[in-house]
Amino acid sequence: MSRPERGGVVVVGGGVAGATAALAISRHGLPVTLVDEQPQAGGQIYRAPTPYARRHVPPNHEFSGGDRLRALLAASSVRTRFSTRVWGAWGASPGMELDLLGPDGIDRIGARALVVANGATERFLPFPGWTDPRVIGLAGASILMRNGGTLPGRRVVVAGAGPLLFSVAHQVMELGGRVVAVIDSGRRGDWLRLAATLAWDPARLRLAAQWMTRLRLAGIPIHHQARIAAVHPEEDGLSITISGTIAGTVAGTGRQGTPVRHYGADSVACGHGLKPATLLTRTLGARHRFDAAGGYWEPETDPSGRTSRTGLYATGDAAGIRGAAVARLRGLITGHAVALDQGAIAERDFASLTRRPRMLLRRQEHVSRRMLPLLNASASLSRAIADDAIVCRCERVEAAALRAAVAAGARDLNQLKAWTRCGMGPCQGRMCEDGARGLLAASCGLPPEEAGSFTPRMPFFPLPLAALTGTFAYSDIPLPKAAPL
Amino acid sequence: MTALQDWPDGSVDVAVIGGGVMGATTALFLARGGMRVALLDRQDLFRAASGVNAGTLTLHMTRAQLIPHAMRGREMWLASRDWLGADVGALAAPGLSLAFTEAEEDLLRARARIRRQAGAPIDIVPPSRAAAIEPGLNPSVRAAAYCALDGHIPAYRVGRAYAQALAQAGVMLFAHRAVEAIVPDGAAGGYAVHCAGHARPLAARRIVLAGGVWLEKMLGWFGHAIPIRCLVNQLAVTETMPRVMGSVVSIANGLLSLKQFANGSVLIGGGWQGEGNIHEGGTRVIPENLRGNLRLAQHVVPRLAQAQILRVWLGLESETPDAMPLIGALTARDDAFVIGCVHSGFTSGPYMGRLLAERILGGAPDLGAFDPRRFSPSPSLPEHTP
Repeated sequence: MSRPERGGVVVVGGGVAGATAALAISRHGLPVTLVDEQPQAGGQIYRAPTPYARRHVPPNHEFSGGDRLRALLAASSVRTRFSTRVWGAWGASPGMELDLLGPDGIDRIGARALVVANGATERFLPFPGWTDPRVIGLAGASILMRNGGTLPGRRVVVAGAGPLLFSVAHQVMELGGRVVAVIDSGRRGDWLRLAATLAWDPARLRLAAQWMTRLRLAGIPIHHQARIAAVHPEEDGLSITISGTIAGTVAGTGRQGTPVRHYGADSVACGHGLKPATLLTRTLGARHRFDAAGGYWEPETDPSGRTSRTGLYATGDAAGIRGAAVARLRGLITGHAVALDQGAIAERDFASLTRRPRMLLRRQEHVSRRMLPLLNASASLSRAIADDAIVCRCERVEAAALRAAVAAGARDLNQLKAWTRCGMGPCQGRMCEDGARGLLAASCGLPPEEAGSFTPRMPFFPLPLAALTGTFAYSDIPLPKAAPL
Repeated sequence: MTALQDWPDGSVDVAVIGGGVMGATTALFLARGGMRVALLDRQDLFRAASGVNAGTLTLHMTRAQLIPHAMRGREMWLASRDWLGADVGALAAPGLSLAFTEAEEDLLRARARIRRQAGAPIDIVPPSRAAAIEPGLNPSVRAAAYCALDGHIPAYRVGRAYAQALAQAGVMLFAHRAVEAIVPDGAAGGYAVHCAGHARPLAARRIVLAGGVWLEKMLGWFGHAIPIRCLVNQLAVTETMPRVMGSVVSIANGLLSLKQFANGSVLIGGGWQGEGNIHEGGTRVIPENLRGNLRLAQHVVPRLAQAQILRVWLGLESETPDAMPLIGALTARDDAFVIGCVHSGFTSGPYMGRLLAERILGGAPDLGAFDPRRFSPSPSLPEHTP
């Protein structure tokens, strides 16, 4: 590990927000490095499709938008480090340092300004059977289909919350698969209200109308205020039990609803909305707030993406879920703000460069915030997580064990973690934190934000020990002074 | 924040400040001895050193003078079901301390000799015997010190077992109470314990300070000026992996502790330092030290090259100027006590706590070597505030 280079601006995340920010920063003449774990830029929405998907997935604006972004990056002076993951972050002032694992092993990079644009993480609501390999996340299913041209199964149940439900259902149909049913935690009325709001955003309204019409014409059952109660493996697929009306089951008693229907399918695509990926901003000590509408923690940012920590920015969905269109505007404004803060442009330039983006952003934000309650429609369900549902799949911790720890006095997520190992596995709590928080909060009547978050730990993902140790001889190991006799 | 539960009416017999192994064990045996005990911690119980340490039960790395205490502590851990009411997962395992160079072999022999004199059954064995005990070892080992009486505990499991035992014994648990001052209470003859978030202080007839690295300031309340050094130890754990080792392994100079837990994860420690302080806790892993620690581990058990590191964290350890414990009375009135700074404190902890409880309950265990007055012989008690 040589001394890290110090000078430049670093952008983590090559999705639409990060790539746009990096491009803007480089246009103002600042050295900027873009780090992304994918082999190419594009993030989730503009992810580069495989050659197979290019032939089999109908052309769409996400392919073309991604291609345009990648071409702009290639033609720019942005230094890119793809297939590279950030496994540690240090906050020692001044500046910041990131530990990386890339194709050439580990490395460290210094940043005088750091833009965190690493997007969102999908939320899961545990139910018995959700750890079956044929149960896949909505986002994962979408990547598989859109960017790989591959169906998760011939017959798919689509379940959870948020607009991704209908996007995924539509993608299954486009690839010739069968959508068995759509199970939505949200209420039908919420969608209708959203449609009214979408009048502000005709492009998205058109897309949504197109998806819904197609589902209706195909006669696919759509259950609102419903959820998966359990998934059981069968000889030739999965048996899925659906539980009805959330309002009746959850609001009052905490008892589970009556199973109302069973479906058979090859796979379940299931996700309960998105949350910002906050590992980096939390590790680096930025202040965070709990967004009650979205049901998640997000870094506190000003309209340009500045966090509470000087030199640290969060933009795109990493600063609160607003979707791809907003991510581009946010990335652009943040890029200009970095240039302003670094002295590359004057306040007047910043104002004129961002006047139109800021105006567009205000309009779009209005629509996107209306979407948050739909993305968070499953929140109240966490109190109904069945005792035998595995919450932490890495450590196989069931809901009953968490409830027992709460009964023994655990009142925040870190105590729950220490007492049950929930969140101690390879995913570092990314998958189980929301379920555990909801369950803890419901069990002792706490608001979810008081249940807290798992303290971030390094490395951010399982790191090969050999990458850290490298080649060495015993005599290379610096041995500090021995312990006293 | 939810409102803090209020103090009990009247005064308690003892207020123990610090909910780690030392404080909690003292509190537990005091309560069982019939005293009314309150246990306070600045955060949740067992979240500082006691909950995050490497969980090694070892005589190789225990200071020679503390060997008899460590042996008793280890026995208590292995029998936790009997006195704590729950199995904390303590496992007896052979312990090996290794030498790879001539200088290390000399150190190893010297350390083994002095520990054997103190009662630890430690023998120097040839590499072939070490390899028979631990087949995964690097064959370049020159010599090994072997002790049959080592073992390990997954430290995270200890807190919950104590929480239940303490509650059962009637100890009043007060988490998230940052003690800001303790002053003599002239009228009642005891002490007033002032905490953030409480207008009224807790009244206690006796005090036990068990605050680990935070002891220096607390000792000041009783007129003792003893510098307490804060060590910031780095620890790393791997993903669960197939069996790579079955013993507890260290090296001659003590800078490695290595063991595989029942769930398959391998814990790598040894006191390599990170950054941190008593105000913010551990703040930063020092990557060069992490790499040194991991290289040492990989050198000792080469199959660890296939491991994935899952987590790295920091734990605070306290040390006095002579690296010996502080256990005993702080006042001439014999109503305030300290327990802490025990080297290999996790191993000896339960026994040390039991000894102090015995002392407070009127017994006369030999705590002479740990007397805090060796640093400040005649402390001047602060006047009680009017």
